[in-house]
Amino acid sequence: MERKKSFIKRYWLPLVLFIIALLLPALIPSFWVHVFTEILILGLFAIAFNLIFGYMGQLSFGQAAYYGIGAYTTGLLMVKANWPLIATLPVSMITAGIGALILGFFCVRLRGVYFSILTIAFGQLVFFIIFQWYSFTGGDNGLQGINPPDWLFSAVPYYYFTLIVVTIASIIIYFITESPFGYTMRAIRDNTERTEFIGINVQRYMLINFIISGMFCGLAGALWGPFNRSVAPDLCGWQHSGTPVFMAVMGGPHHFLGPMIGSVIFTFLNAFVTGFTEYWPLVSGIVIIFVVMLMPGGVFGVIKEKGYFKAKEPVSNGTNPVDKGRD
Amino acid sequence: MEFTFFFSQFMSGLTYGMMLFLVASGFSLIFGVMNILNFAHATLWLIGAYLCFTFWSLMQSYDIALWLSIPLAAVTTGAIGWICEVVLIKRLYKRELHEQLLITYAMALIFGDLIKITWGPTDKLIVRPPIIQKPVHLFGAPIDSYFIFVIFIGFAVAVGLWWFLKFTKYGHIVKAAVFSREMVNALGIPIPRIYTWVFTLGIFIAGLAGGIQSAIGSITLGMDMSTIIQAFCVVVIGGFGSLTGTLVGSLIVGEVFSFAILYWPDGAMVLIFAITAAILVIRPWGLFGTPLRA
Amino acid sequence: MKSKFLGIVVAVALLLGFIISGNVAAAEPYHLGVALGFTGTGTLYSKDQLEGIQLAVEEINAKGGFLGKHPIKIFQQDTQTKPDVGVRTVKDLILRDKVRAVINDYSSAVAVAVKPICREYKVLHIAAISNSENITKVNYSPYTFQVVPNTYMQAKAASYAVAQMAQKKGWKEYVTLASDYEWGRATQEEVVADLKRVAPFLKVKKELWPKLGETQFTSFITSMMGMKPDFVYACLASKDNVTFTEQAKPYGFFDKIPYVGSMQSVTELITEAKTLPRGLVAISRAPFFAHMDVPMMASFVKNYRAKFNGKYPSDWAVMGYDAVYALKQGVEKAGTIDTDKVKDVMKGLTVDLTRGKLQFRPIDNQLRCSSYVGVVGDDPKYPFPILKDLIEIKASDCERPEAEIIEARKAEKK
Repeated sequence: MERKKSFIKRYWLPLVLFIIALLLPALIPSFWVHVFTEILILGLFAIAFNLIFGYMGQLSFGQAAYYGIGAYTTGLLMVKANWPLIATLPVSMITAGIGALILGFFCVRLRGVYFSILTIAFGQLVFFIIFQWYSFTGGDNGLQGINPPDWLFSAVPYYYFTLIVVTIASIIIYFITESPFGYTMRAIRDNTERTEFIGINVQRYMLINFIISGMFCGLAGALWGPFNRSVAPDLCGWQHSGTPVFMAVMGGPHHFLGPMIGSVIFTFLNAFVTGFTEYWPLVSGIVIIFVVMLMPGGVFGVIKEKGYFKAKEPVSNGTNPVDKGRD
Repeated sequence: MEFTFFFSQFMSGLTYGMMLFLVASGFSLIFGVMNILNFAHATLWLIGAYLCFTFWSLMQSYDIALWLSIPLAAVTTGAIGWICEVVLIKRLYKRELHEQLLITYAMALIFGDLIKITWGPTDKLIVRPPIIQKPVHLFGAPIDSYFIFVIFIGFAVAVGLWWFLKFTKYGHIVKAAVFSREMVNALGIPIPRIYTWVFTLGIFIAGLAGGIQSAIGSITLGMDMSTIIQAFCVVVIGGFGSLTGTLVGSLIVGEVFSFAILYWPDGAMVLIFAITAAILVIRPWGLFGTPLRA
Repeated sequence: MKSKFLGIVVAVALLLGFIISGNVAAAEPYHLGVALGFTGTGTLYSKDQLEGIQLAVEEINAKGGFLGKHPIKIFQQDTQTKPDVGVRTVKDLILRDKVRAVINDYSSAVAVAVKPICREYKVLHIAAISNSENITKVNYSPYTFQVVPNTYMQAKAASYAVAQMAQKKGWKEYVTLASDYEWGRATQEEVVADLKRVAPFLKVKKELWPKLGETQFTSFITSMMGMKPDFVYACLASKDNVTFTEQAKPYGFFDKIPYVGSMQSVTELITEAKTLPRGLVAISRAPFFAHMDVPMMASFVKNYRAKFNGKYPSDWAVMGYDAVYALKQGVEKAGTIDTDKVKDVMKGLTVDLTRGKLQFRPIDNQLRCSSYVGVVGDDPKYPFPILKDLIEIKASDCERPEAEIIEARKAEKK
């Protein structure tokens, strides 16, 4: 029934958002262009994370590792080998994907809280390798001088570049989630045993999904380095892994664009709050508690409850997706 | 000479491990009984350290100040833990995993900033009483005399918890609750109250550890974030919810760190995480844990 | 559908209105960014530095501000002593708060990361206490100025102290203990290299690298004591420095192994007034007691103590204060607050500071300030130990020759 709707009717929300995003730089000062670039990059990070969380029903608390691998790949190639930025992006996706393959191979054997714990542990392992490998990664200092080419150097061109990359990546991820593969992921989320019984190799599917998520996290990281002109090991730390979790929860993990909306709210709030107080952790902590306690399902969850949206994919049918495998 | 060297290195690993054990035991207990991964555990530990400093500075003209401050800090931190449980954690038991993680993570952020607001950003330093300013010698190796105390307290807490779980009625209830909440509930024992006291006990031990830590070096903001991740390793290695496991895990991490800095200084932390990850891959429930029903 | 659409349009409009209204800024005041590590390992020094800056700004504003008409407004941000956070906060300061100059940071790693951002947006960058030589030596930025003796100068001072002691005592082997990050690595490397030149008979037995923010030095302490070197050269700062000293003392470490060349700033001297082992040969960056004869220093110490409850200013407060006054004299010389003009004038400028008349070296914008070596000991004038038998090592004796800088920059271009 949904499929019969016209293109515009079906995709009006992303279209509106895209048009707003296109017009934004003309309307706002350059500080906010930076903020919106950040929103896009972190939004892609959160969308990629949500492949595991919202669609597969497992909570990864270590996605920053792949984000960091992507960021360092771009940084190292640009600084040490003088590669052009565009060429580094696919390589970053590949290295992050390889990282996700190696670590994910072990992660997908576990479920529930043990899955989360293993992702944290692997995330910290990557963090400490980058942190301690002084001669190669610059250790605690990070890498400096990751400058995008001249035509992308200032804020607005880089914003558009990011917008294009993030849009293409999001469309690809969207088609993956709408493919038979995506529906298999939902099946695994909703009932792992039953999916196994119908002859699907659950672990292999989960691993593939994990790799795809890792690759796009890596792409987001790759965009971050040139944006900030430098990368530092903290990009891979467990605290940074919490960011996409919160964004997805805030925006609504059960809607494809939920994590992006979460990124808009979270990043915007950050830029605003840090303007007048140094107690951003306090404010963000209170916001997190508020959202988790009062807005389960995030922004899209609340909208849905009020009946603005008809049930949209991916919706879990009342069961707690993430709770599967615990107990 | 060789033996003395080895021995003193072993002893510093032991103290390091004992400090970790004191933080990790409560963390492990709370997870084992309540199934909640408390990211804010080390932040409460740090509050214990700051509280100990405050009590100490109020009484600092007396030599006994430190010894009184440590239990006071532990009790106060335990009270804070009790409030957290009643106000917030209580509402989490029926929630999903990611919500529990996010809430305790948010608590860590909030308490971190509250520490900054209360005590300011400057480091705090406790001047030790004269009795623990000089080293003692064991087999020719100099040992910080305070560390004898630390090791003693570490073992005392381990034995105390063991005795509590093994020989007291409440310990039996707690242990039963790990296996089957439904069963314990069916017997008419109020699970929520058990949880409240387990959480308070865990935070009390964290406060005790914080108080002890305060006399080891300066106390700074942000110490909690590196400590929680080490406590996390300890508990993963030893097995969540297992007391023996936590003790063994602490000692492994302490000793590995202590010897790795000699032979592979750059790799000490990498090695610890490699061990942690390896354990998770081979035995997700840790060396001494019991596999939960999948 | 219509109401939905309307709702989103309204939300976006509100958002935009919000952004635009928040950005109307007056042109008159001088916006000064202060991005320091108020949390993380830099905490101990950063707060003192901020106090020095605040006092200077207060004094200048009492006279109407820069050029008598541009009152200074401080925008303060916490870099958490992390490079990535530092870059973000400085960007925020530049773009949102429109600062014309940024004073930044305790951590050299942060300063190195922030430098290109400041150059990109043409904002003055004053490295007031972070002293890695790489901030000014390579990847030169005309916008970056350094008012602290850099690692090379400090390493020279340290190796001077070490070589003298080693000759006197016939030392042969030593162990280094340095923080594993930009500053620790750079200083350790320089001291070891310099010792090879001035005291070729010395051999490094082991290099130990505790991580920045280490809380447990115990294993390092026992291993050093086990190795029994003739002496230990340590390169630790801030909280790590205090933690190490506090943990090493109960082991009797300082009674057994000479510990030379470590940094003991006034912060350490005050924090550990009761516990710091006397007799350590230590270096320092800008101790106030070295220059009480300079009127500006004497009045600074007086005003600082009056403002901050009788507390004595640490090296970091001195340098924060000097940073603002150096900027003031640059603005006055240029006759305008226009950043590009100020930066051109400050190149090679000689400024009057608490530490005397000092010049910004034209080649790298490094202030030609002194380094200090002394022995920790009590002084009846102060309620804490100071560095006695103080030797002031002038910049001319410890700065890197210009030829080497030119060479390093050439090598970098390749």
